[in-house]
Amino acid sequence: MKRQIPYALVFLFGLFMVFQYFVPHESSEWAYEFLLDWIMIIGIFALALGIWSLFHLSVEKIRARKEGHGYSYITLAGLFVMIAFGFTARHGESWGFYLVWVFTYLMTIMLAARTLAASNEPGKRNMFMVATLGFLVATIAIAIFDDSWSFYFYTSEGLENSMWRRFFDFVMMPILSTMFSLLAFFIASAAYRAFRARNVLATLLLVAALIVMLRFNPWFPQMAGLSNWLMNVPNLAAQRAIVIGIGLGIVATALKVILGIERGYMGKG
Amino acid sequence: MKYMLRVLFSLVLFATTAVLAQTDVVESDSTTVVTEQTPAPVSMFEAKDKDNDHGHAFVLNWELSADDGAGLDNVLTYEVFRWTPNISDSIGIIDTLLNVAIVDNGPLNQTTATDAEQRIDSLMTAFLGPLANASAQEKGARLHELRAAYVERLAEVHSAYPANGYWRKIKVVPFGTTSCEDVGGKEPENSGYIPDFTDYYYRVDAVTADTLVRAESKIAGPVQSSGQWFNTGRVPVLCFVIIFTILTLYFVQAAKKGTDLYVRPLGGIEAVDDAIGRATEMGKPILYVLGLGSAADVATIASFTILGRVAKKVAEYQTELIVPTYDPIVMSVAQEVVKSAYYDAGRPDSYNEDTVFFVTQSQFAYVAAVNGIMLRDLPATNIYMGKFYAESLILAETGALAGSIQISGTDEIAQIPFFIVACDYTLIGEELYAASAYLGREPVLLGSLKAQDYAKAAIIILAIIGLIAGNLDWTGFTGLFEVTN
Amino acid sequence: MKRSSYIVLGVVSAIFVLSWVMKSMSLSEVDDSIMQGFLLTVSAFLTLSIFSFLYKDNPFYKFAEHLFVGVSAAFWMCQGFWSTLVGNLIPRVSESLSGFFMVPYQPGSFNFHYWIPVILGLLLLMRLAPKGGWLSRWPLAFIVGTTAGLNFIKYLRSDFIDQVSSTFVPLLGDETNKWTGVGDFFSNLSLSADSQFVALLANWVIFVGVFSGLVYFFFSKEHKGVFGVGSRVGIWILMITFGASFGYTVMGRISLLVGRLTFLFRDWLGLIS
Repeated sequence: MKRQIPYALVFLFGLFMVFQYFVPHESSEWAYEFLLDWIMIIGIFALALGIWSLFHLSVEKIRARKEGHGYSYITLAGLFVMIAFGFTARHGESWGFYLVWVFTYLMTIMLAARTLAASNEPGKRNMFMVATLGFLVATIAIAIFDDSWSFYFYTSEGLENSMWRRFFDFVMMPILSTMFSLLAFFIASAAYRAFRARNVLATLLLVAALIVMLRFNPWFPQMAGLSNWLMNVPNLAAQRAIVIGIGLGIVATALKVILGIERGYMGKG
Repeated sequence: MKYMLRVLFSLVLFATTAVLAQTDVVESDSTTVVTEQTPAPVSMFEAKDKDNDHGHAFVLNWELSADDGAGLDNVLTYEVFRWTPNISDSIGIIDTLLNVAIVDNGPLNQTTATDAEQRIDSLMTAFLGPLANASAQEKGARLHELRAAYVERLAEVHSAYPANGYWRKIKVVPFGTTSCEDVGGKEPENSGYIPDFTDYYYRVDAVTADTLVRAESKIAGPVQSSGQWFNTGRVPVLCFVIIFTILTLYFVQAAKKGTDLYVRPLGGIEAVDDAIGRATEMGKPILYVLGLGSAADVATIASFTILGRVAKKVAEYQTELIVPTYDPIVMSVAQEVVKSAYYDAGRPDSYNEDTVFFVTQSQFAYVAAVNGIMLRDLPATNIYMGKFYAESLILAETGALAGSIQISGTDEIAQIPFFIVACDYTLIGEELYAASAYLGREPVLLGSLKAQDYAKAAIIILAIIGLIAGNLDWTGFTGLFEVTN
Repeated sequence: MKRSSYIVLGVVSAIFVLSWVMKSMSLSEVDDSIMQGFLLTVSAFLTLSIFSFLYKDNPFYKFAEHLFVGVSAAFWMCQGFWSTLVGNLIPRVSESLSGFFMVPYQPGSFNFHYWIPVILGLLLLMRLAPKGGWLSRWPLAFIVGTTAGLNFIKYLRSDFIDQVSSTFVPLLGDETNKWTGVGDFFSNLSLSADSQFVALLANWVIFVGVFSGLVYFFFSKEHKGVFGVGSRVGIWILMITFGASFGYTVMGRISLLVGRLTFLFRDWLGLIS
């Protein structure tokens, strides 16, 4: 029963999606759009699971005193400070006690994490719990009495907290683009790795890569033509073979899922 | 010369179609020096509901005017008119008030900006009179109300043709054209809404260089649009669905009956077992990366099955498994998969809820974290299966530098080269989907693999026939594969 | 911590403060120059922390990594909350909540169905409950089923039927290069891009490539004999393709690095203009 209903759901919705493709009628379109909306909405609830998992894992690392568990506090701080920025906004010109509030709020979270992590040591746990409660009271008090900002949110065009933007522009973006730019180094080391491999297949790969890499060089103008040919002819052929294969793989797997033949995704092989 | 003139005129008319479509006032072109003779009207003009669609659209067909490309040869364009009740114009004005008039500040029903309000006020006074002093919110609500009432009356006013309406130009097409479509919006809120089951009337004019000199066609209508319940343009797809389903079911049945189904060995798959053994010997964990796909991606679903097999082996060998995930739903499914695998292996106690965990839904933050795991936990084996994008190379290179055995599989063609270079074994494209069947060696899954192979054999045969057909200009065969719409 | 670690930390902190002061001074014409100087310094610090990973794993990289994970997880959660939950769901299910979140309420007679994903979403959260975790399989089954059906049709058409039909290439010349006999073919033999020979060669390579590629992906037959030759040709062509795709990407990746270096040397250090 616990597994039969899910399989029935998979079959019903899978079958419906296959049928709706052949039915151009409005009602089928509507149902199709509804279902896609549903998936999106469920995804948001799932995010709560994700955040919980992240929090839980950080607490576990602190509890187990794993090597580098101190960094878990940084993850928690980043997570909760960004959540705070995502749900608060300034009213007028001044921020009032906002920064103090952010501090007490973060302390509450950190100490709460520490309390949870110390669940096996009653003495420590009680100490941290008292401290947590203290900061919690301060956090709530500031939130109530400070009028210069509030839990205010309006987002048809994005979130309205300048802190949020700054964290995005000056913390997230630089790390993100630097991680992305690491690819330049990795592609060089990958090329070197390919260069060292001595077999026919690796050589073919490397030669083709070299030809295409040299397509803009001024010394061998023929390379441009050759690389164009490589991209337009053998590349096209192999891509097509792969795409047909992948297409068949996807179609077969999806069919097996709908028919309940493939059940690995629900823990049954 | 005359041809050039026609082409030039068509271009100008094309560019100004949008503007012209707003008005039905026909202006004379003062620069025209040639006095045109009235051309013959188009013949066989008919308007039909558009086939294979969700309704709200018509197809118009006609035969060329006798003076288009022959005879007087003076037809430059065809102007298509739709009989429009006056009420449609009111709806248009409301739409303008709601959306276009205050485009700088967003639509009326969302804005609170004061300058926007002032701009609306001036427009509204003329239209809504008594509500001039109401708030923008109220005016918006009133306009919505009014619009809904008008939309509701559309069918009724259309049936009163030709009273209270006029011929409105909706399209201009160049000479030589014999058909056009009038596709309306399907939602009553759309500005170009065409209600189904409502009488529509059309007319098409053959127009010369002097736009005053024109010939009207006979009127087509009443015609009603409606949605269809089956798209006949997609019959080829349906055929393939049926054939493929039957093939799969047939082979699965055959497999269940015990028919021996040979499957050739696949390098990357054989390596998985060895890699788990190696990790156990070294006392190091195994890192399983499901990629950036969501549970909606079939590659991720295939990866779940492989994860199940790996987790079962891991549970038997009592090795540590690390599964960082990018998507919380994928995390939930993966937890379920790993948990069941531990139960199946008879070691439910060894299952740790934190084996599968969520990292973040940001591509490069996820990569940064997984890189960290590779360098700090030093897994003996890294398995990458699923959807990967630009991060594939960062992951695989870091893993290679950390000295782990790496097995990968993805259906993202652009990432396969990086995996091939940096990993010990790579499952290319379809092999990823085949892998789940391989790992289990379950007859049922192997059966469906056979169906895939038969489909491929069929493609090769079809391709050869297609080639012959193509070379002999035998279009009937290639037409079988044409999916319209 | 070791003594050397303290020294490194001290030096980095000193550079950080120095950069903050210098940057704030150089931006003195800007309104909040002290804040801007700080933010630019933070950016540069994080950029360098990530780059330091290339040398080896170190506390600075760990710091940037952990911060990034936390901040980005919250970022996407908030985005999802505001755009999907507040932007998409609330206007359709509750007038009072729409008023609270200041989004226009969108009433509709079919809107009751939006409660279904809410229920499914709540079922998903049952995973966290000690009992009833099995209920969370329902929403998962819904998502997997729906998307499996969707993908089944989508890929059958785009990756299968459409690809097969485009493999019907003319092997004996097309409209522009009509086959007029062996004699003509050889007398007009040339290697120029628009010659009949090159066009036909391309069509043949495509045909053989697709054919042998498919043979390579055959699972039910051992790669021996004629089949072995076919699959060998197949994997060669696949490798050439992967090489070409690899080479094609290199330039794009290097330009990303140039972008980051530009930030460091122009925006932060001001060494280049």
